[in-house]
Amino acid sequence: MSKNGLTTMVFLLFLLSPASVVAQPGCVHDALGREVCLDKPAGRIVSLSPGATELIFSAGAGDALVGASAWSDYPPEARELPRVGNSDRVDLEAILALEPDLVVGWTDGNSRAQLDRLPELGVPVFWLAPRTFEDIAAAVKTLGLLTGHPELAERQARDFLAGIEALQSRHGASEPVRVFYQVWDQPLMTVNGEELISKAIQVCGGTNVFTDLPRLVPRLSVETLLAANPEVIVTAGRGEADQSWLERWRDYPTLAAVASDNLFLVSPDLLQRATFRMLDGTRELCDLLEQARARL
Amino acid sequence: MPASEAFRPLVLLALLGLATMVLSVSVGSAGLSLADTLAALTGSGSELNRTLVLELRLPRTLAAFATGGLLAVAGALMQVLLRNPLADPYVLGLSGGAAVGALLSMLAGLAGVIVTASAFGGALLSTLMVFGLAHGTGSWTPSRLLLTGVVVAAGWGAVITLMLAIAPTRDLPGMLYWLMGDVAYAGTPWPAFVLLLLACLLVLPAGRSLNVLARGPLQAAALGVNVRPMEWGIYIGASLLTATAVTTAGSIGFVGLVVPHMLRLLLGNDQRVILPACALGGGALLVLADTLARVVIAPEQLPVGVITALLGVPTFLYLLYRSR
Repeated sequence: MSKNGLTTMVFLLFLLSPASVVAQPGCVHDALGREVCLDKPAGRIVSLSPGATELIFSAGAGDALVGASAWSDYPPEARELPRVGNSDRVDLEAILALEPDLVVGWTDGNSRAQLDRLPELGVPVFWLAPRTFEDIAAAVKTLGLLTGHPELAERQARDFLAGIEALQSRHGASEPVRVFYQVWDQPLMTVNGEELISKAIQVCGGTNVFTDLPRLVPRLSVETLLAANPEVIVTAGRGEADQSWLERWRDYPTLAAVASDNLFLVSPDLLQRATFRMLDGTRELCDLLEQARARL
Repeated sequence: MPASEAFRPLVLLALLGLATMVLSVSVGSAGLSLADTLAALTGSGSELNRTLVLELRLPRTLAAFATGGLLAVAGALMQVLLRNPLADPYVLGLSGGAAVGALLSMLAGLAGVIVTASAFGGALLSTLMVFGLAHGTGSWTPSRLLLTGVVVAAGWGAVITLMLAIAPTRDLPGMLYWLMGDVAYAGTPWPAFVLLLLACLLVLPAGRSLNVLARGPLQAAALGVNVRPMEWGIYIGASLLTATAVTTAGSIGFVGLVVPHMLRLLLGNDQRVILPACALGGGALLVLADTLARVVIAPEQLPVGVITALLGVPTFLYLLYRSR
């Protein structure tokens, strides 16, 4: 090969994967609108929520994790990570002792007042707050950029969104069913239209009966639920195979969901964590809603 | 009692305080050796160790000591002012006012110094409100002040519950964290520390008048104490101490109620001894409690209020049982 040809090839490689050659993640904006700047890809990351841990693995940066908060249990490798406390009250000393070059926080789980100490001590904090499927994809892409795996992260994000779109095109235009998603039993809690679970219901061609409530995770009275008369009730319950949260509704045989026996249990981790596993959770939900349509 | 003997407990308490501070600075989840800690304190050692000791543990220890001291002194003053053994620094609604201030600013999406400042503002607002309302149109009495304060406190409590119920999910972790109390909110312990020193210096010369006042306003007036200005002075002073404590560490319960009683059971009710003893004893208790809170089940962190109560309740009950 001529010297010129070699140069051309190197140049082409450079064009194909710019960020892996130029190891300069530069500056990105996080969910709080703050600028996070790194002068080299993060290689020692501490994740402060189970969801953030999953997204970091999805971005191809699992190897760079040096610590995680309690309950970071997926993928299985995450269980082996040193712990730095519970999300709502982390151990700053344990975090600093791991000498991280990036800490990833989650607005729904961590206290800003507490984590704001970290940038003061020279450790950048990147905040996540995914509320849409696009947010999840964008979060992984940004994490890929920060950790020096932009192409891999980009590809993963594209696959995830493509999967969601495929579900949307298969189920989105089906006969609409009215769905109640039960987050908790006592107090009775659900999600409004802003929540990702509600967006998953929408992708599957369902409508969340409480879409318009103002709070993200509203509390309800049983009376409100009976008045809304959903055709399907879905819950993750307290964990696998615990039907008690669904059984209670059988006391109200006039409920459309009870009359048609549309009471379904879903896997909690797949729908209630804003990560790529939402795709599996949404697929599971779509299948259940198809079953429900057949029974109505 | 000769002066030197009366002040011997203070020396002991000062030593106890110092011992708890040394303990607090030298233990933590990072597991530095004593030699590492000493090296970091003298400015040598690795950069990581210096950060851990000088920027995390030391400010936190000092903040805990100052906050505990402020709360105990404020509690002792409130008990004298209201002549009610159940009085604590928060009985007149001050922590509720501070919490409403802090939570409001968090709801507005603010963070850091602004949250601290609005907590302080809320505390002062509550103080002035109770002051004005208790004054009313008629005559003023400590029981009227107490009643006004308790009702205002209940009002703040309701506002806090309402705010938590309607707060957006993303602000909740920060709000709950603030309400539980933690010694590490404020970046710097110095305002609290300086105020604690000032309070001790200002209160000491007034000790004799406070002793007389503790026996009741009529005796105090008969013995030549200018009761009304004195009472308002105590109220404003104690409120300022509490407001500073609350903005340093959120509302940490129990220290302000029980430390003054414990020390009275041990040392008698001479305000000239009790008030400085409260500054030292309250500080020592909170430093010890905070140390335990961050290491007992590390890396999980306990709210410090849990430990102050777990340490304080049995100690206090024992002292009370033993006393006659």
